[in-house]
Amino acid sequence: MGAIFRIEGITKVYRTGDVEVHALRGVDLKIEAGEFLVLLGPSGSGKSTLVNIVGALDAPTEGRIYFGDDELTGRNDAALTRFRRNHVGFVFQFYNLVPSLTARENVALVTEIAPNPMEPGEALELAGLDVSRHDHFPAQLSGGEQQRVAIARAIAKRPEVLLCDEPTGALDSKTGVRVLEALDTVNSELGTTTLVITHNVSIGGMAHRVIQFGDGRVTDIRTNAKRIRPSEISW
Amino acid sequence: MRMLDRKLVRELWRLRAQVFSIALLVAAGVATLVLGVATYQSLFETREAYYDRSRFADVFAQASRAPEHALGAIERIPGVAMAESRIVDRAILDLEDMIEPGSAQLVSVPDHGEPLLNTLYMRAGALPDPTQPDQVVVNEGFARVHGLDLGDSFGAILNGQRRDLRIVGIALSPEFIYSLAPGALMPDDRRFAIVWMSRRALAAAFDLEGAFSSVTARLLPGALEADVIDRIDDILASYGGLGAHGRDGQQSNVFLDAELQQLQGSSAVLPPIFLFIAAFLVNLTLSRLIALEREQIGLMKALGYSSLAVAWHYLKFVLAIGAIGVIIGFGAGSWLGRELANLYSQYFHFPYLIFRVDTSVYLLAATATMAAASLGAAKAVWGVVRLSPSVAMQPAAPPRYRRGFATGLASRFSQATVMIIRNIVRWPLRAVFTMLGMALAVSVLVASMFAYDAIDHMIDLTYYKAERQDASIVLNLPRPEGALFDIERLPGIMAAEPVRAIPVELANGHLTRRVAIDGRHRDATLSQLVDEDGRWVPLPETGLVLSDWLARTLELQVGDLARMQTLDGRAITAEIPVTAIVRSYVGSAVYMDLGELNRIMGDGPLIGGANIRLDPTLENELFARIKQSPAIVGVSLQSLAREALRETMDENILLMTGVFAILASIIAFGVIYNSARIQLSERGRELASLRVLGFTKAEVSWILLAELALLTLLALPVGWLIGFGLAAAMAIGFETELFRIPLIVERSTYAMASLIVLAAALGSALIVRRRVGRLDLIEVLKTRE
Ligand SMILES: Nc1ncnc2c1ncn2[C@@H]1O[C@H](COP(=O)(O)OP(=O)(O)O)[C@@H](O)[C@H]1O
Ligand SMILES: [Mg+2]
Repeated sequence: MGAIFRIEGITKVYRTGDVEVHALRGVDLKIEAGEFLVLLGPSGSGKSTLVNIVGALDAPTEGRIYFGDDELTGRNDAALTRFRRNHVGFVFQFYNLVPSLTARENVALVTEIAPNPMEPGEALELAGLDVSRHDHFPAQLSGGEQQRVAIARAIAKRPEVLLCDEPTGALDSKTGVRVLEALDTVNSELGTTTLVITHNVSIGGMAHRVIQFGDGRVTDIRTNAKRIRPSEISW
Repeated sequence: MRMLDRKLVRELWRLRAQVFSIALLVAAGVATLVLGVATYQSLFETREAYYDRSRFADVFAQASRAPEHALGAIERIPGVAMAESRIVDRAILDLEDMIEPGSAQLVSVPDHGEPLLNTLYMRAGALPDPTQPDQVVVNEGFARVHGLDLGDSFGAILNGQRRDLRIVGIALSPEFIYSLAPGALMPDDRRFAIVWMSRRALAAAFDLEGAFSSVTARLLPGALEADVIDRIDDILASYGGLGAHGRDGQQSNVFLDAELQQLQGSSAVLPPIFLFIAAFLVNLTLSRLIALEREQIGLMKALGYSSLAVAWHYLKFVLAIGAIGVIIGFGAGSWLGRELANLYSQYFHFPYLIFRVDTSVYLLAATATMAAASLGAAKAVWGVVRLSPSVAMQPAAPPRYRRGFATGLASRFSQATVMIIRNIVRWPLRAVFTMLGMALAVSVLVASMFAYDAIDHMIDLTYYKAERQDASIVLNLPRPEGALFDIERLPGIMAAEPVRAIPVELANGHLTRRVAIDGRHRDATLSQLVDEDGRWVPLPETGLVLSDWLARTLELQVGDLARMQTLDGRAITAEIPVTAIVRSYVGSAVYMDLGELNRIMGDGPLIGGANIRLDPTLENELFARIKQSPAIVGVSLQSLAREALRETMDENILLMTGVFAILASIIAFGVIYNSARIQLSERGRELASLRVLGFTKAEVSWILLAELALLTLLALPVGWLIGFGLAAAMAIGFETELFRIPLIVERSTYAMASLIVLAAALGSALIVRRRVGRLDLIEVLKTRE
């Protein structure tokens, strides 16, 4: 397995008016294909910023980032859109489903524009959403169910990489575990490289590697000798 | 893009109340344009078709007695397609249901067959039988007012002889779409009739066998009217010709022209402004509505949709709203246009209506609104699409409020009030646009309602300040000044002032106008000159006094010399200085001292009639005497003239502006309702958080609605100002030879416009307040930081 992402000297400065925020102060990282990574760190330490840059939702201020042999930095909006459409799946803390579309339709929203997608129903099943709920609107689903729809939507296009920003952040322990199980399944069955941001240190146990963040930098990288199963995690 | 389309349909449904109210805004703008143009265009086309089908003449001439062979000479004039001779004269009518005498224009129809020109449109009956000299056809308006039908009779005095005339036909004529008695300002079907009789019968009554007194001609395309008129004048000069004229001197046509022009004024000025305002408001509203979609736009970009695909999605959203509005607008506009055109065609006595609207109007209306809507959406979508998806998906960063002047206030006001003020100061542009939207709503109301006051003022000035006589008496021919004593001796006459009107062509260089110079005594008080405020203006000893409209038309100023030539066959010419210009809203009056006028005419001290003040208790006796007096051919009562003017104004202007006022109210409601709703969506989270913190529903509503209330109050004076500007544009649009609408906007109009807008604001506030009660507090606690 070769590196799917190479991140070299990434910095990110946000400017709002006269205030400058240094969200990332220089990050170097190699991510292997098929890896399950967990990003830990205090709030505001730059985890989301990094993941957004990896997923081409945002551009770094300095540094380079490679997807395989292709450099992502300096590409235009159309190329980045194509990259997101073909290779990246996102799961957000607040699900971000389209409220006017049903679970199945939310997934179809992505499969319609992806080159080699699964059936929406198949993706929903893989993400663990009960068949009886496939035609419900987001408002009719619990938080955990909504998050599983979001995961189904993210994986339905068979992305190379799945980016999850605090996917269990708004969920209780029991439903959170089911979401983690869905992510684990996708990682092991489809071989999707998976990055999960979390506050929850115990989730780190299910990762291949745990990346520790602090003040816009990677402060520590730990490789798990033995991964625990999601069902062993609780909070 | 199937899923996006599904999303589109569902969101249109979810936002249906707003979608509908914005669509209504579009519809109001579109409908106004369509109905305005449809009404005017249809009536214009109908007139053209009617003139054409009835072979309405191009040139008209009168003589005292022209031999029939003169017609041959006229027919041979190059450019004349056909000409027809006839006998035209006047009669006094004695009608059972009228105490005062009426008068009639007698017009001959050929003994055999139909008229060649100016054919009659028979509503009932047939043309008179030439062997039955008392058979007549009358105009429909006259028959209707007096309840006359086929077979009925009425008395008439023809050439001094009383006859009973029997109605065998009721007709419309292109020549008398409006029937105005000579010298009258307003049509009056009660006291003035058009009576068609056989040529043989009229020739016998007026001793005109083998001769004619009127000729009309139709020209070949491309013929030079002025040349033909000159040639006819030459031919008729030795037979007492009174000067030929074209359609622009034909009373009914001139009047109809003026009416159509006023209709065009109300349909050409206001509707484009309406459309523009509606478009502006739609643009404003949609751009705010789209801005609310920021997170969804960010999400779609994150999922891999291109900026173009996202933009197109929202463009479709607004185009759908626009299309709904345009369709409603087309439907409502066409329907209202047809109804209005129908009403007007009845006022105008058209025999039929040709409803016609240029497709270009629909195209213009649709393009303008769709473009405005699309631009509004594009502006907003582009603003969001340009953001990186990660930023777009977060709620907009908390705005940086400035403490500024609100700091000092904070100690004196509640936190809620400080929030309101800071919110306005933070988004000054948005506040200004919201305010402007409401101001425009006020202004269209002012512009569509001001005419009511203006017409009141016009009538007050014309009939209560200037023309204050109770009636005017017209003599059959100019008589020596002593005739005034005869008039004064009639029963019920409390005062009489002599007048003499001379029809002339007034010219300045190449600019000419046919008018009547109104000669009167300098000390006359019944009918007097007034300025704009109704204050008396003395009649100068010498020279001409022009109404401001005529002065402008002829480009004459005080001190300039005007050329005049009488139209009475004597063609007396003179150059007279303009010595004063007065304000006048009705007609195109020219005044002069009677003595001076008589000097120019050179026929001694004569009068043509008198303005009188009446003792109402002796009115009946007076009218009875006048009916028997051959020297008096007409009496016109000011009260009737005033009513006729009022009616004409109601028909021409108030009907149309009434429709506009309703559409303006719809616009007002649409703007304010949407401002409130969007405001609620934009600040829903913030307001729900306040509820969570323990603010009551009333307090939260206050924060939201007080801002709107403040903006509404600020909008009122701005709206008055813009409204006055629009009213000024309309007043110019209404200007015709016959009437001008003064630019007077009463306080009551401003008040009414403000009340409507305040009512719309209150209604919207109540709806929004109910929604504040339903804010989802849990949702707020669950999501985001
Ligand atoms: N769009 C933005 N504009 C300004 N500052 C931002 C923006 N996004 C993030 N930040 C700032 O960058 C820093 C890192 O944020 P983030 O990557 O979200 O941290 P984490 O996900 O680790 O909590 C924080 O201080 C945050 O306030
Ligand atoms: Mg974060």
